[in-house]
Amino acid sequence: MSGKGEKEQVYARYVASGKTIEHLASWGKTLAEVMNPEGKPEVLDDVLVLDASYANFSGIIAASFFAEFGAEVIKIEPPEGDPTRKMTPFGVNVKGVGIPFMVEGRNKRYLTLDLRNSEEHRKDFARLAAQAAVVIETFAAGEMDSWGIGYRQLVQKNPGLIYIAITPYGQYTENARHFAHLPDSDITSQAGSGLPAQVGDPASSPEPYNWPLKAGMWAGWYISGLSAALGGSFALVHRQTTGEGQMVDVATMDAYSSMVGFPAIIGYTWEQARPRIGVLDFILYPYGLWKCKDGHVVIAAPRDHDFRALLKILGLWKLEDDWRNTPDRIPDVLDQAMILHKAIEEKTIQYTADELVKKALQYSAKAARSKWRGGGVPIVMKVMTPPMAMQSKQFAIRRVFQEVHDDTLGKFVINTNFVKMSESPPRVKWVTCDIGKDNEYVRKKFLQER
Amino acid sequence: MEEYFSFTAKLFDPSQVVQKPEVLKGIRVLDFSHVIFGPTATRLLANFGAEVIKLELPFHGDLWRPATYWGKYWKHSNPLWHFVTQNKYFVGLDLKKPEAKDIIYRLAKDSDVVAENFAAGTAEAWGVGYSQISKINPRVIYLSCSTYGQYGPLRFYPGWDLLAQAASGVLSLTGYPDTEKFYKLPDYLGDFIPGNFGALAILMALYFRKRTGKGQYIDLAQSEALMRLLFHFTAYNLTGMEIGRMANNDPTMVPASIFQSRDGKYLALACATGKQFAGLCNAMGRQDLVNEKVYTDPFERLKPANAEALKKIVAHWLKSLNGEEIVRLANDQGFPAAEVMDDLQICQDPWRRQRGSVILFNDEMYGGLVMAGPSAQLSKTPARTKWLARPVGYHNRLVLKKFLGISEEEIEILEKKKVIGTFDDRPGLKPPVYYNLDGDPIFNYGREGKK
Repeated sequence: MSGKGEKEQVYARYVASGKTIEHLASWGKTLAEVMNPEGKPEVLDDVLVLDASYANFSGIIAASFFAEFGAEVIKIEPPEGDPTRKMTPFGVNVKGVGIPFMVEGRNKRYLTLDLRNSEEHRKDFARLAAQAAVVIETFAAGEMDSWGIGYRQLVQKNPGLIYIAITPYGQYTENARHFAHLPDSDITSQAGSGLPAQVGDPASSPEPYNWPLKAGMWAGWYISGLSAALGGSFALVHRQTTGEGQMVDVATMDAYSSMVGFPAIIGYTWEQARPRIGVLDFILYPYGLWKCKDGHVVIAAPRDHDFRALLKILGLWKLEDDWRNTPDRIPDVLDQAMILHKAIEEKTIQYTADELVKKALQYSAKAARSKWRGGGVPIVMKVMTPPMAMQSKQFAIRRVFQEVHDDTLGKFVINTNFVKMSESPPRVKWVTCDIGKDNEYVRKKFLQER
Repeated sequence: MEEYFSFTAKLFDPSQVVQKPEVLKGIRVLDFSHVIFGPTATRLLANFGAEVIKLELPFHGDLWRPATYWGKYWKHSNPLWHFVTQNKYFVGLDLKKPEAKDIIYRLAKDSDVVAENFAAGTAEAWGVGYSQISKINPRVIYLSCSTYGQYGPLRFYPGWDLLAQAASGVLSLTGYPDTEKFYKLPDYLGDFIPGNFGALAILMALYFRKRTGKGQYIDLAQSEALMRLLFHFTAYNLTGMEIGRMANNDPTMVPASIFQSRDGKYLALACATGKQFAGLCNAMGRQDLVNEKVYTDPFERLKPANAEALKKIVAHWLKSLNGEEIVRLANDQGFPAAEVMDDLQICQDPWRRQRGSVILFNDEMYGGLVMAGPSAQLSKTPARTKWLARPVGYHNRLVLKKFLGISEEEIEILEKKKVIGTFDDRPGLKPPVYYNLDGDPIFNYGREGKK
């Protein structure tokens, strides 16, 4: 890593010319200043979002994205609080609030309305919705409608309303009706949309390692939340041009399969389901995980010239003849692919992760300056745990983590600034979680109560 | 009032999609991006009506074109590539030629969005970075995608999806505890998720531009986009606790695991609320558990020893039932359950076909392909597939003539100078062998009667 005064190392051929490096040195400095979010306008500061999601983080996550881009977001929950407050790893909480709820409490307002039980509160909700740009809800399909506050009722008073509904099977089709009251969770969204089927060891391996395996993060809920926010943003652009709102329907059983698109196409063209293949990849090789002296590294060197470079830096050139071409390395015969995998591992375990990363970078830097163009870019990166990633200088300079302070929750660090934008960046202004904290504020501002 | 599901069936009727308006009609995107990350951001815009002009190096094309699963081609194309590059205009243009630079600047002048995902600094080095394009077109929205971002000490580090998964902490989380077994997220999720963030950022920039007239620069690092999906940082900061790898268990709910049923099906089952837990206990005939002190309070229930004990009870019960029965009970009693779906099940699922989240698309060049539909269905301006991927340079004439007014004669000169060009005769790059390209009116746009 380059410190002050040290020359920045370059690993791409086209960037390596003197004039370009000079330009990029000043361009990099300009960007670091330009991309600072402080004091910039907020893109959605004309937008009111009502998050009426219940027991479902995908709604909360979608609302967070709008909040980070500057919308006024009101989280609506019953007096006892949304059950999502209590979903937290191993039960760890701060004054009754779980960690995920704290993380997603960014820039939110909290209003208590008992939509399930109170006719009065439903009226309040309808009055709020008449002024809102976006409503998000995760109740059973048709439930809000049966309470008189569904899309088709609210849109009467507010034709510009964008109504985002998130459920396992969506708002239409026979399954949507049949499974309307089947609740949502992250793990069922992952399973129903096909993610775990692609993770795990081959069928011949011992149990449970040959089972399908869930992603170790909320892949179902975060993908569904992102899809809802993205769909909602398309609808916001349409509303900005035409004044017209619409309904946005997200089915969490689509989360993974519709985001990556591969399952349906492979199911159709191959007429089979892919088997699980452990640490191998089904298109590229080498492209995966290896053990090293002090942990694990990932190595990506799938193109032929990248592969040759990798063999050189690991001292494995003797293998070149057998594995020269991409088709030789495509791991469609697992046992054969594992021969190469193990040969690479015999070398990687002799070095620490830092040594391997350095070897690869040195090779790439040299190849970038070389006139011989077959240099290749073998890429190695240490497998970081979240705490290790928090120590990274890169992410510190780019302000990926931010310390926030709340009277109830105290001080803590959250992940933020997921995209840098020069004019209207997302940001975190505050994080709060108290139930009903903004009851008075919301009622005064939007319901003309004193 | 009309019954709800009959109302929504009309509202979202998949057969009406083609007649509905496109929200990004008239938005032009100049797309330098390649492989999956950048192309996913622009593909999403193309699904909603934007004109995405995808630039590729003549002869070679995009790096991802030949990269299909286990080398299996479909009609001489990469079937996965069709999903990533649907609805785009394919132009083969050699950036190293000065005339090509001129064409690019002319296209950039009228573009609303420019996207690239080269190694950081490469677009600037080629004279097509934001610092250069914004001089020609100050209102441009310029998206740069990279693994670590455009500034900071790691900016020049090379990377793909896999490296972003490793650097963000994501990769360390999927696998079995107390073993060395862990796995990357499948199907290049480290490209697809950040690609969706890219589309989100562009939409926000379009919204902002409409309000203020200002374009802007967007610096999207895929490692940072992935980090937005983890609550693990805050958990560590507050407690010093590393959640680590949790096998098939979700540590935020109990029970929440993947189990096996009597008939060997893999079933995900969870209880996100007390009510759902009561429903599960009901289904198990174990109402006694609801009132047991260690299970009533969710925070208590989540403590590892209690969670493990409860998980064992559930696993044992599930072994006595078939997969279908479990899902039926979950639906009746109101707790989440779903079978783990594989490629074939997703492809053939009647629900997905009815919904339009899996579609059979009929393409003029390739015929029928079953592929994924959108992640979010919009009632008035839905996403849609209009055509599949095309060979390198397929839209050269259409784009240069229609968008830039370049004549057939000029195009022929550009072809001779190898400024523009088409495909090498390789699978993934070329059209299907049965296809008569000479008779194709788009490939030969404005050349009618010449032959």
